[in-house]
Amino acid sequence: MNRSLMWMAAKGLLNVVLVLLLAPLCQGILRKLTARIQSRQGPPLLQPYFDLLKLLGKEDIESGVTPAMQRFAVYLSLAAVLTVGCLVPMGFGPPLNFAGDAILLIYLLTLCGICTLLAGLASGSTYSLVGISREMMSMMALEPLFAIAIIVGALHVQSLRLDRVLSGSVYAGGGVPWSGLVMLAVMALSFQAFVQRVPFDMAEAETELMEGPLMEYSGPKLALFKYAQMAKLVVYSALFVGLFVPWGSQLRFPFPWLLFWAKVLVVVVLVTLVAATHARYRIDQALRYFGSLLAVALVALVVASCGY
Amino acid sequence: MIARDRLNQLKEKFGPAVQRADLPNDSRLFVFVEPLTVRWICQYIFRDLNARYVISVGADDRPFSGKFLLAHNFAFDADHLLLSVLTYLPADDPKVDSISEAVPAANWAEREIRDLVGIEPVGHRYPKRLVLPDSWPDGVHPLRKDHAWNQVPEDLDESREFRFDEPPEGCTVIPFGPFHPTLDEPAHFRLYVEGEMVRGCEYRGFMVHRGIEKLAESVMSYNDIPMLAERICGICGCVHNVAYAQAVESAAALKPPPRAEYIRTIMLELERLHSHLLWTGLACHILGFDTLFMQSFRIREPIMWIAEKISGNRKTYALCVIGGVRWDITPEIRAELLQTLEKLEAEWRPVVAAVSKDKNIQKRTRGVGVAGKTLVKEAGLVGPVARAAGVDIDCRRDHPYAAYDRLSFKVITAPDGDVWSRLLVRMNEVFESIEIVRHCLDKMEPGPLQLAIGDELPVGRMGLSSVEAPRGESHHFVITGENNRPRRWRVRAPTYQNLQAVPAMIKDQQIADMTISLGSIDPCFSCTDRLETIDLRSGAAKVWSQEELLKLSRAKRTDRI
Repeated sequence: MNRSLMWMAAKGLLNVVLVLLLAPLCQGILRKLTARIQSRQGPPLLQPYFDLLKLLGKEDIESGVTPAMQRFAVYLSLAAVLTVGCLVPMGFGPPLNFAGDAILLIYLLTLCGICTLLAGLASGSTYSLVGISREMMSMMALEPLFAIAIIVGALHVQSLRLDRVLSGSVYAGGGVPWSGLVMLAVMALSFQAFVQRVPFDMAEAETELMEGPLMEYSGPKLALFKYAQMAKLVVYSALFVGLFVPWGSQLRFPFPWLLFWAKVLVVVVLVTLVAATHARYRIDQALRYFGSLLAVALVALVVASCGY
Repeated sequence: MIARDRLNQLKEKFGPAVQRADLPNDSRLFVFVEPLTVRWICQYIFRDLNARYVISVGADDRPFSGKFLLAHNFAFDADHLLLSVLTYLPADDPKVDSISEAVPAANWAEREIRDLVGIEPVGHRYPKRLVLPDSWPDGVHPLRKDHAWNQVPEDLDESREFRFDEPPEGCTVIPFGPFHPTLDEPAHFRLYVEGEMVRGCEYRGFMVHRGIEKLAESVMSYNDIPMLAERICGICGCVHNVAYAQAVESAAALKPPPRAEYIRTIMLELERLHSHLLWTGLACHILGFDTLFMQSFRIREPIMWIAEKISGNRKTYALCVIGGVRWDITPEIRAELLQTLEKLEAEWRPVVAAVSKDKNIQKRTRGVGVAGKTLVKEAGLVGPVARAAGVDIDCRRDHPYAAYDRLSFKVITAPDGDVWSRLLVRMNEVFESIEIVRHCLDKMEPGPLQLAIGDELPVGRMGLSSVEAPRGESHHFVITGENNRPRRWRVRAPTYQNLQAVPAMIKDQQIADMTISLGSIDPCFSCTDRLETIDLRSGAAKVWSQEELLKLSRAKRTDRI
């Protein structure tokens, strides 16, 4: 028992290390690909690593109305994302399967968003406040979507255990998995918003709000926040893959693991393509869009509870 | 004969109030009137004769006539006529009835004249300081002839602050500027915001006023000023360069040789091409659509290269002198220019086709920042903003200059007055510009580039010139003078009028639409502002005060720290 516990912890740690190592690479791929679409040369693939190192080496300036909260928000943000990383299967079973269930996962995802709110509140600038009011509004419309997707899965497998939910559970109902397919569409259509990319980056909107909640951040704190955002892209992609694209996990090691990262990469590329070909929506337009998705998701939930 | 008809109309209505008139040709009319009647005459011209308000100009004419001079300029676009209503005001008490009640578009111009020349617009509804910096003492007017161009008032009070108006009840203030990533230049909009809705705003600009007009009237010569004029703006510099030269030529009754006119036309259109592509890119950037931003800039780049081949510079072409141009288009450049245009057209067509069908961009631009026909008339809006509201005006056709009277082209309009319409107008004008340049290259014949001007230019003559800049009409007013330089030169850039309408365009819209609404008029603050105001610059260890900076900037290089 003790040994298996250590084995679990090691796997959890491995997840964290992998997310930390590969997140900047995914960002690099995203930037390079965006540049290519825009007829630019683009930065080297490893540029995000250098950017983070550069920012980490800078002077740590206290700013904003409550510097302590500003610092706390950053740490919490990165911690929340990495904790989610421990709970999500990345090529093998969820490492900390015993430590929490799907409900915990839903709470942790919300916590990631709350960190952005804290960051904006701590800076106290008008632009940040506008940014967090947008963030709050979109959070309220968005978070239920992921929660519903997880609950649909949980309903199908009649369990809240992470290993069962995060292995394509949404298709586990008998016959044609209607609710699962609907949720796949809903999540695919709202995924940009979860990872805060164009067309749903209203809360940061450089040309309107000058990065909104992040406005007062600089140096190491900014580095960590950026790091958390990069990690978020990977972790959310992993969640998406776990819930909706589970195929291939029965193969022999290391194929499921390689396949998993390939799938994550595909998600990142898709996110890039959508971001590079769209203009930013206004908050009211985005909310209306999320609202209709939410309505569809609720229907899927009802369908799932009927067993389809 | 249109000019004489209009003059007769005025004489019939106002009789002896019209003191004298000057009709240099059928497209220009200068009417000198009794000061007390200015307001009624302007109201008649603006409302009853339905003219478009262009600009008001104040001048200190005391050294010459012992009086102040005030001009209100109007345009009859359908009649191809520019009209100036002039009046002399007593030197001891320069006051005149404000026309801004009848002509709302004159709001800023009258405030500027009050600040810079000290002519009081009696009855102006909102006579707040507009141009002068906050620390500037009252009663000192820099454009008066007894104020030296490099003179700083003794009692400059650095602690004096600008007083903003109280926001309406229930609104919070969001400071949009003085520095903001979408502005690129300093300007300050204080937005009154209720939730995400903008309920009103106050504008404080003129932070980059460089005193260009004063400098020109004090130390430069006729042929230096074109090079100064094009430094008014980094985008539409050539427009100011040509407009100034044409205003002087019109005052002195000079006509440049045909080849020079064609070359002016070509350079103006090349400038329009690069400006339209740049603006389309920036508009997309504001909307978060960076791919099209980058593509527009890529497609635009060859225009900059060909401009460099012709003039030696990517921008600031240093094109005009009085009576001609300085650069020729050689056969090699002609061939290359044609190739560049072909490539540009081929690359731009798919972009326009893609954008025209893009639902995503339409969602962000349709019904946003609307300026309808009424606002265009009341605020005197020009250029793509007016054309996008279905108002068919274009100085190239309406007040032809350079070689435009020998060319045929379409004036692009759109019906809705929103950002989307402006986008369509500017994207499609690119094709017209390409055609215009091709026509010019076809029709151009060999010949001299400059007039041989032997005599001094006549003194005290007035000249008007309107040039269609990419953003709208740039209007220059010149009174020729002694010492080989003009007595008065007034520049009215298109943004000067278009910016005044922004508060009306953004009212009751979302904050998110503020940037694109403002961006859609393609604001150029350096054009609009034109004095030196220096902001506090904070260094790591030292904060420079305005006084120190002034001292630093005036010290000789060797005395610098």
